[in-house]
Amino acid sequence: MSIEKGKICNLQLLFLITGFVQSSVLLIDFTVVITEHQTWMVILAGLAIAIPFILSYVALAKRFHGMNLIQINDAVFGRFLGKVISVYYIFFLMMTLSFNILDVGELYATFLMPDTPFIILLIFFTATCAYAVYKGLEVLARVSHLFVVVGVIVIVSTFLLLIDQMDFSNFLPLFELPFIRIFHGIHIMLSIPFGETIAFLMIMGYINKTEHMVKNTLIGLFIGTASLLIAAVRNTAVLGNTEAIWTSPSFQSTRLIDIGTVLTRMDFLIGIAQTILIFFKCSILFYALVVAVSQLFGLKSYLPLVLPLAGIEVIIAATVFQSPVDHAAITQDAGIIYSVPLMFVIPPLSLLIAKIRALPKAERGKGV
Amino acid sequence: MTKKINILTSKLVICFLMLFILLGCSGGREINDLEIVIGMGVDKDENSENILLTAQVVKEGEMEKSSGSGGGEGDGKAFWNVFGTGKSVFEAVRQITHKTGNRLFVSHNHVVICGKDLALEGLQKYIDFFLRAHEMRPTTIILIAEDRALDVMNAKPETEKLPAMNITKLVKTYGFTSHFYKVNMKDFASCLMCGTRAPIAPLVGISQDKDNKDIYVSGMAVFNNDKMVGRLTEDETRGLLWVLGKVESGVLLISSPNKQGKVAFEILEAKSKVIPEVKDGKIVMHVKIKGKSSLSEQTTAEDLATIEAFEKMQKAQTEAIRQEIMAAFDKSKELNADIFGFGEMIRKKHINKWKSLKDKWDEIYPTIELNTDIEVKIQKTDLLKKPVSPGKEEK
Repeated sequence: MSIEKGKICNLQLLFLITGFVQSSVLLIDFTVVITEHQTWMVILAGLAIAIPFILSYVALAKRFHGMNLIQINDAVFGRFLGKVISVYYIFFLMMTLSFNILDVGELYATFLMPDTPFIILLIFFTATCAYAVYKGLEVLARVSHLFVVVGVIVIVSTFLLLIDQMDFSNFLPLFELPFIRIFHGIHIMLSIPFGETIAFLMIMGYINKTEHMVKNTLIGLFIGTASLLIAAVRNTAVLGNTEAIWTSPSFQSTRLIDIGTVLTRMDFLIGIAQTILIFFKCSILFYALVVAVSQLFGLKSYLPLVLPLAGIEVIIAATVFQSPVDHAAITQDAGIIYSVPLMFVIPPLSLLIAKIRALPKAERGKGV
Repeated sequence: MTKKINILTSKLVICFLMLFILLGCSGGREINDLEIVIGMGVDKDENSENILLTAQVVKEGEMEKSSGSGGGEGDGKAFWNVFGTGKSVFEAVRQITHKTGNRLFVSHNHVVICGKDLALEGLQKYIDFFLRAHEMRPTTIILIAEDRALDVMNAKPETEKLPAMNITKLVKTYGFTSHFYKVNMKDFASCLMCGTRAPIAPLVGISQDKDNKDIYVSGMAVFNNDKMVGRLTEDETRGLLWVLGKVESGVLLISSPNKQGKVAFEILEAKSKVIPEVKDGKIVMHVKIKGKSSLSEQTTAEDLATIEAFEKMQKAQTEAIRQEIMAAFDKSKELNADIFGFGEMIRKKHINKWKSLKDKWDEIYPTIELNTDIEVKIQKTDLLKKPVSPGKEEK
């Protein structure tokens, strides 16, 4: 019954989660506009609040081992309501994926290849993701640690190269902004890097052993968050009060690198790391989406859906927003609202219902 | 078998097609088509209200020529100053394409020089382009011309081939005297955005002696918000840099202990710490400076390498530094421009008290008191232990 034949091991889960969280390193820019120099604490607060919810995802995956999110929904909420919720999840995965593809497109269109037509960038990027998904989860999992290492190297090296330009008094005063803005920031942080790990419920079912899942998930989260934190601290310390005006603070801060007038123009590092990391995140989201859709329709294999869905994603990404301004406004305000139930209500609720109905035992025979 | 061959051919066809698709030609720009800009000047057009933009374009051919076979090539200028006018900077930049036939390639732009008339009028509306354009770097240095920027861009330096590179070099080596300071676009924008802190930028002028025009940096322009309101002399600038902890090196001149000559010290190191204190509406800034210096020159015959002389000279140095700081502080009060960023420091340390001070900062700033605590240590006397004194004159 299971669509994915491959299995992944625990360590690979760790790297998958690290890479997934890490890849949001440019997406913290959405928060920077709102929380300015207090972004670092927003990241930490986001992590602290997210941990119980992410643990509930892990608990769900453990309880329904070998099943993915769509199957869990069916099992917990029954055939009809389960399907409705699954469609909601699929919508969420679809939009999240297209937004991430759009992020890459905007990154390239603004900084790296301003003359290339936008749609071409989207098509090539999505095609690469589609290829990765075509190869299956195991392949992606096997190379995950490479992506994580590249990400960590870039983030740490840009931090070190900028140390002489950092002014740590930029973090003062510690508490300046009104609480509502911090709350808004925490909400974005909670949804974008952390809440989106809900996609892992499509993957966690294929882990060969469930013993160290909690530990590995947490370590993965911590490493990923550490990367976000280093990037946020770097941006604030280097850019100070101008942090909020740039289209991409990370790019601007690495552009300031100037070691002996030789080591300059290091923004390509961010370009490389960000392409690799977002590719990784998009592949995971794409995989989750494709498997979810084929599970919903009861297909035996997800392969026939890869190309059509890739096309749909490109079209959504190309048409959904008029401009990056639109994109930022929707992500900051609306995007985080519609995804709240999916991330923070349904998974704990499913867990509760499963506990009350003692579900996995009753359903297991049926599932396999 | 045929199926395998079919797959192979289709793969080959795809690879062949990729040759055309993946070259990235759509954004390609060949090096000999690029108009590499290394410096830009912004002025007000004399005849109209427009902006006069000067872009200094490198002539690659000339660069090679003069490096190989000495001089003697007539007007072998390695740069081309091209002008454009427009109602905004970007319009002027595009206007230039009428003369160059190409877009300017500003990725290697090192300096932006603003004419004085623009600085007096306010820079806010002009610097946006230099931060926003995607090829521009936030490390671009900003300078204010004493008169017109285009004259500065035209003055051909003696050793460097390109005026803009020469100016960059001048500004980047501010550390030898600490008489001015390097300000890049990001720093300038940061001060401007701060609201209370007054931006500063080095002033660049032309000194005319005989038939030789030389570019020199002469102190700093002080802005209030975005309008230039005055200037700091060289000593005042160093006074400012002492407080900010940006003094790298420089010559500190004091009179010798017996008042018969001068002693020059080289500053080796300077650190500063500023602690703001707000007490019932009264603001005192405590500035602590720790420095090290070396005895580099003396014009008297007296033996200064003694413990007593060292103590006296350390005191004299402390006083000299204090005077520089006070000169800068008095000037900033006179201009009512918070060049030190004291307002920022109070905001960072005492956010609650800052809220009530913020709105009337202009009125409060002249009432601030400065409390200095300076400590200078003489570390070495370089190659001489005793001065070169006319022998046995006293015996």
